[in-house]
Amino acid sequence: MPEEVQTNDQPENREAKEPQIGVYICHCGGNISDVVDVQTVAEEVKKIPAVKVARTNMFMCSDPGQEMILEDLEKESLDGVVVASCSPKLHELTFRNALKRGNHNPYLYEHANIREQVSWAHHGDPAGATNKAIRLIAAAVAKAVRLEPLKPIRVEAFPHAVVIGGGVSGLTAARKLSKQGLGVTLIEKSPYLGGQTAQLNQVYPTEEKAEDLLRMLVEEVVDDSNIKIYTGAEVVAATGTIGDFVVRVRNVPGDTSAKGIGLIEKKVVFRPFQGCTVRSDRPCSPGDELEVRCGVVIIATGFKHYEPRSGEYSYGESPRVITLPDLIKLLSPDGPTGGRLEIQGHPVRDVALIHCVGSRQVDGIHEPQPDGRVNSYCSRVCCTATLQAANEIKDRFPHVNVYEFYRDIRAYGRGHEDYYEKASGKGVLFFRYTPDSPPLVEKTGPNASRPLKVRVRDTLTFGEDLEAPVDLVVLSVGMMPNDISDLVDVFKLPVGTDRFLQEVHPKLRPVEMAVNGLLLAGTSQGPRDITESCASAAAAASKAAIALGKGYVELEPFVAQVDPARCDGCGLCLNECSYEGALRLTDIEIEGKVERKALVNAPLCMGCGSCAAVCPHRAINVSGWTLDQFDSMVDAIAAQ
Amino acid sequence: MTTAAEPANAKIVILATVACAYPGADTVGQAHLSYPANTYVLRIPAPVMLPESFYFRTLEKGIGGIIVMSCGEECPYEGAYHRFAARLDRVAVRMKKEGYDRRRIKLSAICTVCTKAFLKEVNEMNDLLKEIGPPRKGEVAN
Ligand SMILES: Cc1cc2nc3c(=O)[nH]c(=O)nc-3n(C[C@H](O)[C@H](O)[C@H](O)COP(=O)(O)OP(=O)(O)OC[C@H]3O[C@@H](n4cnc5c(N)ncnc54)[C@H](O)[C@@H]3O)c2cc1C
Repeated sequence: MPEEVQTNDQPENREAKEPQIGVYICHCGGNISDVVDVQTVAEEVKKIPAVKVARTNMFMCSDPGQEMILEDLEKESLDGVVVASCSPKLHELTFRNALKRGNHNPYLYEHANIREQVSWAHHGDPAGATNKAIRLIAAAVAKAVRLEPLKPIRVEAFPHAVVIGGGVSGLTAARKLSKQGLGVTLIEKSPYLGGQTAQLNQVYPTEEKAEDLLRMLVEEVVDDSNIKIYTGAEVVAATGTIGDFVVRVRNVPGDTSAKGIGLIEKKVVFRPFQGCTVRSDRPCSPGDELEVRCGVVIIATGFKHYEPRSGEYSYGESPRVITLPDLIKLLSPDGPTGGRLEIQGHPVRDVALIHCVGSRQVDGIHEPQPDGRVNSYCSRVCCTATLQAANEIKDRFPHVNVYEFYRDIRAYGRGHEDYYEKASGKGVLFFRYTPDSPPLVEKTGPNASRPLKVRVRDTLTFGEDLEAPVDLVVLSVGMMPNDISDLVDVFKLPVGTDRFLQEVHPKLRPVEMAVNGLLLAGTSQGPRDITESCASAAAAASKAAIALGKGYVELEPFVAQVDPARCDGCGLCLNECSYEGALRLTDIEIEGKVERKALVNAPLCMGCGSCAAVCPHRAINVSGWTLDQFDSMVDAIAAQ
Repeated sequence: MTTAAEPANAKIVILATVACAYPGADTVGQAHLSYPANTYVLRIPAPVMLPESFYFRTLEKGIGGIIVMSCGEECPYEGAYHRFAARLDRVAVRMKKEGYDRRRIKLSAICTVCTKAFLKEVNEMNDLLKEIGPPRKGEVAN
């Protein structure tokens, strides 16, 4: 039997009249109604005094479903709406927006989840599910009664973006931002633009020259009067929030090659393996600092190569064991041998390429990094980059034998598989190993035909122990994020367990970070190739343009709010707050008397509610999540 | 599909964080994994916002068990998780003083895809409530 929702311990309820709530229960085309008896739910819920109407609909999220709510809001003069349907993650925003469309406050809305957390979880217990749905809706109604109209927090947006990192991702982001009409400041730590792409010769899958690609990008960025570039520069501090950050930049100390903070020369010079040099047109002293005001910050700080441990596959012990980036250099006409495949002054005759070095590591088998964690992730680009190198060797030096030792070939992108097909066709030999028995690189005796041999238990031949004599071993090293601990501190960047920066949601919000106004581009977020890096950079630029395009930024109003009538200025809440500037005590005049009260700076409050828990008078609450609302929900659940 | 255990008579309130545990509870439903229906998930940005008194008020209302499903160390709010863990320690001390069975309040970290951990917590609490019934001050003299 449903009963009255208790309203006695509810001092918030200022109006004499009990708010009138409309409840809408979704069948979800059977997803809900096959288990939950939605008709009974509606009938029972209707008995709650605050409920003016309770209706069901086949699909509440459909246009007719939403229209029904808007009609009732007018006809029944509702004060609040509860929709009981799927997870709020899917449609809470849909219904809030519907309210907004009808010129109602979108925050007078509460959602009850009766699909993911009822019908789909209790399909074996329809009676229990129906009962649970009634109680959850009663709880939502109890909360809805206590909701207050809220206004999003509006912050003025300064139409300028700071991009940190001048690799392909940062360059692409800068270019796209400028095209969207935003001013851009690009900050690159090294003296060069281009990042790791400058280390490459030809890039898969298009086989363009990396130099051409970079030149095109850099020239466009340099010629753009909307973009300011600082090389040899780094970020040392930042304050503010989305819409209005101030970023402090200074010369990288001790970097004599850096031309420092200043505009760069228009002529772009490409230096192989380094990048595009840029020159300052104004001298600067080592301590030079400047402040840049911006609305968003894009982090495009890229990656570094995994450095094999000394002795890992004989790395560091034999000069004939090199990394894939070393091989790319060796094959380049600009490299140390002018492009000849030579090692120790002799032409290479047999080369072994070993995949997954520093990637897809396994706890207990591989040595962890200093933080105690192994690199368990796949670095994604190495398979195709290795196959590309194998093809190049076979094309240019057909007599060289190429052996690839791999765990899995992950040629996942468009056009990548072709490299595998072609390599097989050209006679590259593949051996497959498992992580618990990796290939062994050993020096051979004085009479051996080759100075090294690679031994492997090959699963393609069902576990046969095979041996390949070689004079060069190439380790396909994976990616690790650049050390940006300083930036992590400055901006409070979220870092994943793989040490790369972490997005809010890989699918729904892939280039945003949990800190509002901070966006991600390229390999700072995880291993990816140039195509993917540029795509994410373009996405980040669009997000930035959307955020700043209106001239102001609207933030969700779910932040702490003080009821001055209840606050006695004791200051307990301040001790709990982790966010500098979010909460302070201030003297305000109330009816001629000066009183000390807590005051929230809404844009800086993150809405965690640490303050709310310690206030002896419930004077401070997170809007939309007040303690009274929680209590009333518990009451509704506890009722029979 | 699985069949759920018979629900205990007492109810379970689950406080689930918006960032981790609430989507985790959704994932359980998406996988059509079953658990007893005496479970009521409340969404919360960070459980740190609830004062100690919330837990006792909830027990006094007859809720048999409270599972706080947090983000654990992944908590998106600075310092909140440690402040919260300290608060639950104080709750435990007061539970002891008031003679509540301390197992009625459980803290666990649930991620967005932690379906097994979610089911384990829910089933354990349900089993416990079948054994010890509704809450009562002075139910244990520990
Ligand atoms: C061996 C190998 C071969 C590859 N071959 C290909 C290929 O053929 N095709 C392909 O598509 N992809 C390839 N890739 C992938 C490609 O290199 C990357 O996708 C690309 O370089 C990523 O660009 P980025 O801008 O994200 O990072 P990066 O290129 O790493 O650039 C980051 C920039 O940020 C700067 N920076 C770092 N920290 C700071 C800071 N704190 N402040 C300011 N600036 C900072 C760095 O100096 C650098 O200039 C290959 C990768 C490897 C490892």
